[in-house]
Order: sequence, then C-alpha cells, then structure tokens
Amino acid sequence: MSEPTGLPKGAGHRLEELEHGLFTSDLSVNEFLLVKEAGFHPLGFVMGSSIYHTGIQTRRWGQSQELTKLTEAMYNARELAMTRMEEEADQLGADGVVGVRLDVNYYEWGSDAAEFIAMGTAVKAESGASYRNTLGKPFTSDLSGQDFWTIMQTGYVPQGLVMGTCVYHIAHRGMMQALGNAGQNVELPNFTQALYEARELAMTRMQDEATQLGASGIVGVRLEEKSHQWGSHTIEFLALGTAVTRTSGEVTLPRPTTIISLDN
Amino acid sequence: MGTPGGAGSVEGADDLPEAADRRLGSGSFSSALTVPDFAACLQMGLQPVGLVQGFCVMQWGWYGANSPYMRGASPYAPSGGRGGYSATWQCPHGFVSTEHRMWGQNYEQSWVEAAWAQGFGSAYTRLVEEAHAIGAHGVIGVVDRATHLADMGVTEFHIMGTAVVVDGGPPPPGGQPWTTYLAGQRLAKLVEAGFMPVAVAATMASVRVWAYCVTEYLMEGGSWAWSGGPGTQEVDQIIHAHTAVRRIAREHVRQQLAGDSLQGARLLTSARRLSEGDEVIECTLRGTRVRRVRDADPLPTPRPTVRLT
Repeated sequence: MSEPTGLPKGAGHRLEELEHGLFTSDLSVNEFLLVKEAGFHPLGFVMGSSIYHTGIQTRRWGQSQELTKLTEAMYNARELAMTRMEEEADQLGADGVVGVRLDVNYYEWGSDAAEFIAMGTAVKAESGASYRNTLGKPFTSDLSGQDFWTIMQTGYVPQGLVMGTCVYHIAHRGMMQALGNAGQNVELPNFTQALYEARELAMTRMQDEATQLGASGIVGVRLEEKSHQWGSHTIEFLALGTAVTRTSGEVTLPRPTTIISLDN
Repeated sequence: MGTPGGAGSVEGADDLPEAADRRLGSGSFSSALTVPDFAACLQMGLQPVGLVQGFCVMQWGWYGANSPYMRGASPYAPSGGRGGYSATWQCPHGFVSTEHRMWGQNYEQSWVEAAWAQGFGSAYTRLVEEAHAIGAHGVIGVVDRATHLADMGVTEFHIMGTAVVVDGGPPPPGGQPWTTYLAGQRLAKLVEAGFMPVAVAATMASVRVWAYCVTEYLMEGGSWAWSGGPGTQEVDQIIHAHTAVRRIAREHVRQQLAGDSLQGARLLTSARRLSEGDEVIECTLRGTRVRRVRDADPLPTPRPTVRLT
C-alpha cells in the first residue's frame, strides 16, 4: 500500500469488474429484495482491512485507569479498516454501505498484532438522488436489509456507523481492602465507578462521532466487552451503533397489521 | 426480596460518573432498540431520548461453595439459623458410620437473596436516575445481567434500556419514570390491551440442598430395582427444593406488585453442584409490573398469511 489509507492493486481489478455492471453482495435473498424495495441497488461487496501492532502500556496494580495508548490503537485500527471500506464504496460511486461487520482476528504469526476487518455491501439509490452523509462520503451502517427498509419507512436515513472505544484497567484489590469487607454483602464503589466510567467514555465517544455527522440519534447501540490478550483486569469497552438523521417532511407510519401465520 | 418493582425513589444523579453527565447532556439521542422496535416506538408516539444504564459491583462470591462461612452454618439449625424456608429429612437406617449422611436439609439462603437484591436494586436506581436526569417519561426495552468478573471474586450487575418521552404526554406521577422489559410490538400490544407498564419486577431465590443418604444414593444413579422396588422414582428432597425455590421467587415478586399484575414473566432455574450431595438451586423471576388503565380495544380481524421463507 502506497499510503496509509490506500487500497491494494488486487482491489482495483475487482472493483473495475464491479463498475461494469456485475455486482456481488453478502445480502440474503430477503435482504436483497427489501433493499431493492427501499429504492436502492447493490453495487458490490466492499471491505477494508488493517493489521495493527498494539503497543505496550504500563498499568498500576492498584489503580483503575484508562489505557490511552491501547484505546488509540484499537480506535485507529478500526478507523483505518472502515476508511478503506468507504474508499472502495466511493470508487464504485455508492451512496452507502449496508450490513457492515467489524471483526478483529488474531494470528499466531503476529504477537501483539491483530487484523481489523470491515465488510459490507455498497448500495446506490435507483432514483439518482444522493444519500451520502453530511461529510460527502457514502453512509455506513450495520443495519440488515430488513432494518434498512424499516428505518427508511420511519423518515430517518443512516449517516454512518459510529463507534467509541475505551480500554480500561480495573484495579486489583489490596489484601487489607479485601479483608475489611470479608463476609459482607457490600458494594465495591471503586469497581462500580471504574466500570461505569469506562462504558460511559466509550458511549460518549460514539455519541461525539454522531454529532460530527450532524445525526439526530443513534439506533441499535451495542456494548461489547473484550479482554483480547491483555488479561482479565484490562477490558476493551466498545460501543457501536448506526447514526441516523431525520429527513424533512412529515412521515405517516403505517399501522401494523394483525396476522395469523399459517406456517408451522 | 426487595426491589425494583416498587423501585427506590429517585434521589438525584449524585453518584453518576462525570462521563454520564456529558453523554446525557449532548443533543443527540442513542438507543439500544433494534430498528423494528425503534419504528414501533415512533408509531406509538414515543420519542427515544437516550440510552440509560446503571451498574453495581458487589462482593458476593465469598458466600459460595465450601466457604468457611458455609461450613460454620449448622445444616441442622432451621435455615442455618436465619429464618425462611427450611425442611429436614431423616435417614431410615440409623447410625451406620461417621460418613453416612443421617440428616438432610434444604434451607433458603436469605443472605444470598439480599446480596442479589441489593446489587440489582442499586443498578436499577442508577438507571432511573439517568432517565430522570434527561426528563424521560419511561424506559423501554430494559435488559439486565449479572456477570461474575473473572479473577476478581465479585459480581457486576448491569441494567440498561432506552429512555423515552411520550409525545405531548404529562410527566409520570411523582416524576419517577416507568420502566419495562418490553419494547416494540410487544409493548404496543400491551397498551392496546388497556395496560400501562409501572416498573420492572425482578427477584432471585436461593435454596441450598444438604443431601441425606437416600438423596445422595439416588443422585449418584442408584435405584431400588435390585430389591424389587421401582426402577425410576422421584428424588423427594430435590423436588422439594425446586418447588420451594420457585415458590419463594413468586412470593418475593408478589410483594413487589402491590396489587398490580405481572406481564411477560420469565422464570429461570439453575442448579449448581457444590460437592457430593450438596448443591445450590437458584431461581430468577423477571417481568413487567403492569396496571390496567382502560378497557381493551377490540383487536382487528387477523389476516391469515404464509411466509415464503
């Protein structure tokens, strides 16, 4: 790769083929049907990847603290993967990417290195109207085809997959502290505050990203927790969701229909 | 045991971390609702205003298997000397050896239930504080979990949901937001049926089984078939424990309902074997406390459909 956000040569050839009308997608048949029903056409399966070496940060045994170096690493690596996926979508002239998945893989050959992958299906509006986000880039979302159709019916449009991360070290308890509470039902306020703070930091960062996109809200927020390879006291809190903006004009939501399913 | 159903009063947001204030004070909303639930929420005239949550880390594991505390509790004293459910069984054989289990006992572990109620209740109160701080009328799609934090010997209670305001609706009575495990069409159907959610209700019951010789023999796979007895049979002491733990959980929740109804009850029971003939049976019961506010609307005639999937 010639530059940090560049795409490899192989990607160029694959994307050229897609530009000539052939499309690939990881949508199921039902999802494909509903994406078409929402007025979009799939252009191609797009992805971005980044193999990132995470640095070392010392932590204090008895102190809860954010590990900023690790937080930055986890954030930058995902951001690189996402940017490359957006570049592929941009090259196809897409309005957005639906069904985005973000994965982290560890390989035996790379100690302290991990591969961050972002994948999804690039789509374009059949009407010719632009659905790119306020930054002029294709929107990204982790919504399925069904969810994408549903959100369009509510008068909201996706702006981007937003995320916030925080790698936090939870302090160990000292011997005297543990003995002092021995045998009691008691809240451990230091632990509560540490976990609370870590999750809130991740969620605040996710919300900051949404604000930058001019979004009015985030739907489908997920909070994930992983220790990766750092041991049980160091945890990554990851908040993920799809930022949405309300379109102008009143939307009348259809009243749900009561049905009896004749399936088994 | 105690809790949320009647939920503690909102005491202000004093014990929320600084980051929570910053997040809740921002202009955009976040919600943990799925897109179908989000759409149903808008259809009902509910506007999401933010994702709210509460945590509590409790020291709790110490009361577990084989702790010195448990060894100190006499299995022969009623309920380990603490009140609540207790039942005893006596061996029919008399003295055989010092290892022979001449007595058996089931007893309610009220201190374990109290720890669970305290952890859940504190996390719940913080969730309501967050919702109150952003002016929400209610919290929908509540989910909760209790996780044992590895290597720390503590349990974390985490409860979260999506705070909503009712379009043009008055603030909730007493200013305290209502809460419900329901969201989307399930909540819409409840409202259509003439009910309104009041609060989530949740409880845990715990019964310890100290087996006597017959229970121990049967639990190890033994039977009386060799002497002409039945090949399969009930294990009386274990059945008593399972029945009791479910009854206690239902009684605790009934105390929280204060005359309201419980909707969508989820009763989960698990058994942990601590050592030979010694186990703990736990039961959690969760649901939404609901109150009838008007007569039910007649449902439209359903349309028969066949899905092509």
